[in-house]
Amino acid sequence: MKKLKASLLPATLLSTMVIGSGFATTTYAQDPYTVGVEASFPPWAYVEGGEFKGIAIDAMEAIAEEAGMQIEFRDMPFPSLIPALAAEKIDILATGLTVTEERSENIDFTIPWWETNDVVLVPEDSDHNVFTAVCCGARIGVQGGSSQQAWMEENVVNSSDIDVELAKYDNYVTAVDDMAIGRISSVIVDDTSAQEYINAGKPVKMAGKIYIRAPLALAVSKDDPQEILGDLNQGIMAIYDSGEWGEIVNEYIPGVTVPAIPGHMPDFVDTYQKPVAGLPELGNE
Amino acid sequence: MDIYDVLLRDFPFLLKGLGVAIVLLAALLSIGFVLGMAICLTQLYGPKSRFVQWPLVIYERIFRGVPIIIMLFIFFYGISGVVDISAFGAAILAMGLRSGAYQSQIFRSAFQSVPAGQMMAARAMGMSKMSAIRNIIFPQAARHAIGPWTNEFSSEIKETSLAYVIGVVELTRQAHYIITSTQGNILTVFAVVALLYFILNRTGNSLLYAFERKLAVPGFEK
Repeated sequence: MKKLKASLLPATLLSTMVIGSGFATTTYAQDPYTVGVEASFPPWAYVEGGEFKGIAIDAMEAIAEEAGMQIEFRDMPFPSLIPALAAEKIDILATGLTVTEERSENIDFTIPWWETNDVVLVPEDSDHNVFTAVCCGARIGVQGGSSQQAWMEENVVNSSDIDVELAKYDNYVTAVDDMAIGRISSVIVDDTSAQEYINAGKPVKMAGKIYIRAPLALAVSKDDPQEILGDLNQGIMAIYDSGEWGEIVNEYIPGVTVPAIPGHMPDFVDTYQKPVAGLPELGNE
Repeated sequence: MDIYDVLLRDFPFLLKGLGVAIVLLAALLSIGFVLGMAICLTQLYGPKSRFVQWPLVIYERIFRGVPIIIMLFIFFYGISGVVDISAFGAAILAMGLRSGAYQSQIFRSAFQSVPAGQMMAARAMGMSKMSAIRNIIFPQAARHAIGPWTNEFSSEIKETSLAYVIGVVELTRQAHYIITSTQGNILTVFAVVALLYFILNRTGNSLLYAFERKLAVPGFEK
């Protein structure tokens, strides 16, 4: 695309854009697909010793091998990932990404590959329970742009008289550390990550669970411009059926019960309407 | 593995992040220098027509008046419909154009601090405008510009750390990797990162101060 500059002068703006989009499709066809990840979100994706690791990373590599796709990972902060996918800066989003109605209007989800519930984390020495931790002037930590933030705003902050304030963080590790200092009294996070913090020896405990059965999935740009949604769906089913998925998950979260694939597919997601891409026998009627 | 072992093991990656920050810094300062100098010279000695001057003023006001993080988002997401720009390219462009706006004003104040009578005297002695700028005004203005330019250098080093919001993996992002993969140690890791930024800043400033001393006219500006 750098060559574009040379053609800028003689060509009009309109023809430049036409040439530009022509270039774009040819380069995309040869280049590997760019997989956007948030590499500070263990156990889904993180960097250790300069290498990408995590469930989403290993599973994405297995799916790519299954589908015969070339991929490369690109790390971005979480709040930038969905805009990047919507703007087609990346082709696939692979992280612990929760399926929500709002997101499904801007990006297309694959079939769900995981299911989480949210937990209320409090400091180890706290005597709060799930009710007292989320009320009465409490400051509660969430990751900015996360599904937990959306859920709290929809169900607690904006729709009830419960007096709480949300503190939004760049990532959950900072939120949990801030709770240890005492700036916030609790953190709402998905159960998979919460278990990870407890296993790592952080001074936190679960005060209670918010049972929301949120599906997690991969995502591609809206309307699947690269036509890879079907391949990804088949890839997810293939690594689940072969047992590879279970091995990957157990490597990062030992002893966890792996939810069945495909899990609960919410009605509001248009790519879950029958027939689902690549898996025509599935989908909501 | 405690945090010091991890830091030791991952130190090459921190240095790699520092390298990315340095390349970004060098590129944005170069763009800013060329652009800033051109704008300054046009504002002071170029045609006085408003068709030339107004766009320069508008450009300078906009780039000095909008937060760099917004500019990064605009350049990365906003212009992607026209040109497919990489995150690194977008960061260089957004920060370089912004630095140009700042540097133009640094240079303008330096040029204007040279008494106007010198230009008149040079012209009266038959020197062309170009020659007077090059041989009389510029050598004096350059001496005045180094001080404030050191300031611009220091603030731009620190701003390179913002490029991570659009996915440039520089020093700050590398530090995030260590923090999240070890589940904490924010104080230790950022202390090391702060030290690295400090060393880079200090080295750059020392070189610029040495340059300033070298250019100083003995017995006059000391």
